[in-house]
Amino acid sequence: MSSMSRRRFVAATSTGVAGILAARVAPAVGQTREISYLCWNNFAPASDKKLGEIGQRFTKDTGIKLKIDHIAAPQQPAKYASEVQTQSGHDLVEMRMHFPWLYEPQLVDVSDVVAGLEKQYGKVISSAAEAAHVKGTWRAVPQYHAQFVCAYREDLFKKASLKVPETWEDLYPVGKELKKMGNPLGIAISQNYDTISTASAVMWSYGAKEIDKDGKTVAINSPATAQVVEWYKKMYRDCMDPEVLSWSDASNNESLQQGKAGWIHNPVSAYIVARDRKLVTADGINHHKSLAGPTGQRHETDAPRSIGIWKFSKNVEASKEWIRYLLGKREVYDEYIMSGSAFNLPVYTNMQDHPVLKTDPKYVHLKNEGAQYHTYGWPAAPSDKVQLITNSFIVPNMLAKAVTGTSTKDAIAWAENEMKKIIAG
Amino acid sequence: MAIGTLPVTTTARLSLRERVSELLDREHILGPLFVSPAFILILLLVAYPFCMAVYFSLSNAFIGRPSHLIGIKNFINLWDSDAFRQTFQNAFVFTGVAVAVKLVMGVALALLLNQDLWFKRLIRGIVLLPWVIPTALSTLGWWWMFNSLYSVVNWSGIALGIMDPPGPNWLGQRYYAMTAVILVNIWRGLPFFVITILAGLVSIPKELYEAAQADGAGPWARFWYVTLPMLKGVLAIVVLFSTIFTFSDFNIVYVLTHGGPINSTHLFATLSRQIGLESGRIGEGAAISLYLFPLLAFVVYAQLRYVRRQVN
Repeated sequence: MSSMSRRRFVAATSTGVAGILAARVAPAVGQTREISYLCWNNFAPASDKKLGEIGQRFTKDTGIKLKIDHIAAPQQPAKYASEVQTQSGHDLVEMRMHFPWLYEPQLVDVSDVVAGLEKQYGKVISSAAEAAHVKGTWRAVPQYHAQFVCAYREDLFKKASLKVPETWEDLYPVGKELKKMGNPLGIAISQNYDTISTASAVMWSYGAKEIDKDGKTVAINSPATAQVVEWYKKMYRDCMDPEVLSWSDASNNESLQQGKAGWIHNPVSAYIVARDRKLVTADGINHHKSLAGPTGQRHETDAPRSIGIWKFSKNVEASKEWIRYLLGKREVYDEYIMSGSAFNLPVYTNMQDHPVLKTDPKYVHLKNEGAQYHTYGWPAAPSDKVQLITNSFIVPNMLAKAVTGTSTKDAIAWAENEMKKIIAG
Repeated sequence: MAIGTLPVTTTARLSLRERVSELLDREHILGPLFVSPAFILILLLVAYPFCMAVYFSLSNAFIGRPSHLIGIKNFINLWDSDAFRQTFQNAFVFTGVAVAVKLVMGVALALLLNQDLWFKRLIRGIVLLPWVIPTALSTLGWWWMFNSLYSVVNWSGIALGIMDPPGPNWLGQRYYAMTAVILVNIWRGLPFFVITILAGLVSIPKELYEAAQADGAGPWARFWYVTLPMLKGVLAIVVLFSTIFTFSDFNIVYVLTHGGPINSTHLFATLSRQIGLESGRIGEGAAISLYLFPLLAFVVYAQLRYVRRQVN
């Protein structure tokens, strides 16, 4: 056995360390494949628990270590911004609605993963594609969505012999009666995202929009918007309480669950929480299909979520492997969807009639056939400027101004002016 | 010209320990050495982020995209935004009212706590509580109290017959909402005033009061001609700090109103988050948060100069 002098040993190890430092990659022998995934605290907590279980199985099956972290939804923008600015952090991130557009230059092209999933399950549904398909490239892999739905107190409707509305206009007499009963409608008109979700659904159903499809022409000032504003005015006056001006995203849920609101527009979570916590109102809550506008068109706001991989990740292939494991194995994807009750619904066409919708008779209207799903800002693509319009709460503030005394014309003109400044800027 | 030679004297070589000890004996070395850890911390945790913020505010920085300097364009363009102009106004109303009330109440409470009261220490401890509890947590408590569905404030007001049902819409009407956020800021910031002013009160020599009393000065005169002049320095510092903290408040507005209704409670920090983080426009976001920096820097300079003059 040849002996190694101290000098030779130091020279050899120094060269090795220098090489590792220069390449900034650990030698293959010493590499353990490890990835980290940052996602939100799901409104269906059982879903997070299930994700953890699936993650452990993934590690066992593939040998790739997976670390899953959760943060509250409001903390996501700050956390993601810091990861992008420092070019360090997690490998994979859960992306809410338009995040793939916001972080587009920092996200890996995952078109190959989406192509595989579409081959298995059919095309991605329109709203999820709007959110994750950025300028012709998939920047995130659609995983599930939580559509808005009409939730109502069926017991109160029966008591007052009220007919389930078919159109937004039908909701007015129903709301008037409900308010008289002490159970007003719960439609938020405040600086929150639920307000945008409901207002968007109403606007699209009436043929109104904020920005044209070209993404440049401000289209808010239209007779259709005026109709929507007038509708909001009478609804606020005769069917709601002024408290809706102060509501957060959780307020309408609480109002329905606590027995005050007789009708709300919200994802199915309002009912799920009432049922799971065994609230006295749970049995009386049900859902009905989305409401139509004057021409019979039914549009609904959707909140799709997808998974993106940061470009700075050194484990892109292992990250893709995790996505394929979670969403590409039918039995795993089904298990994951089932764990979220019906709050997290699949985003691929052939999975729309999912068994999760049969787990509770009150989910029957979640299929919502005939309704078109979109994300905020539609029909314009969610460019930076369109997202700034959304995040500046211009539509909610236009409606709040109108229902508190500003004329319809002035409120719309104000919104148009603010939007034009953003588009021109 | 001839070049002479200098005689070189040789001294006995000092050991390392002796040399270090000799170096540490020199004041101009030891002083900076003691200061350097704090200086490095300030450099890393304050100066660097501040310089980055200034750079961002002068650029078109967008999260994760290449950016370049655009001068003061962000600062000029912000004036076009209705939300920013509203925020600018809100910040002055919020800070002006909150600091003024905290000052008056702070002096009053400090005077009260300076008296010989039963359970004085306990009361002083309790007064500090709002300052000790994490703001986000305590504000959440206030949010429940103002919440339209569960408002204990309205429930109590109606029960006592001083409010007509359903009571004020605290977080949904512009003036009520501003009142609510100011109220919580006062509740939160008052202990800082009270404790600092109390420390100032305790340090006023008793002889001054005795002399004033011997000259026939009543309580009001003693307050006006002894207490207040002696507290001027403390008050200036407290007001200075509170003004800066209040202008840059974030948690209270973010938790209570999210800047609404119709932007009527937005402050620089909350609007900055909305534009800079939620919409990715770091440049504009930084410009919003730094908008008042020149003004605040001047206020700091003027007040510290005033305090120094008082001390001298």
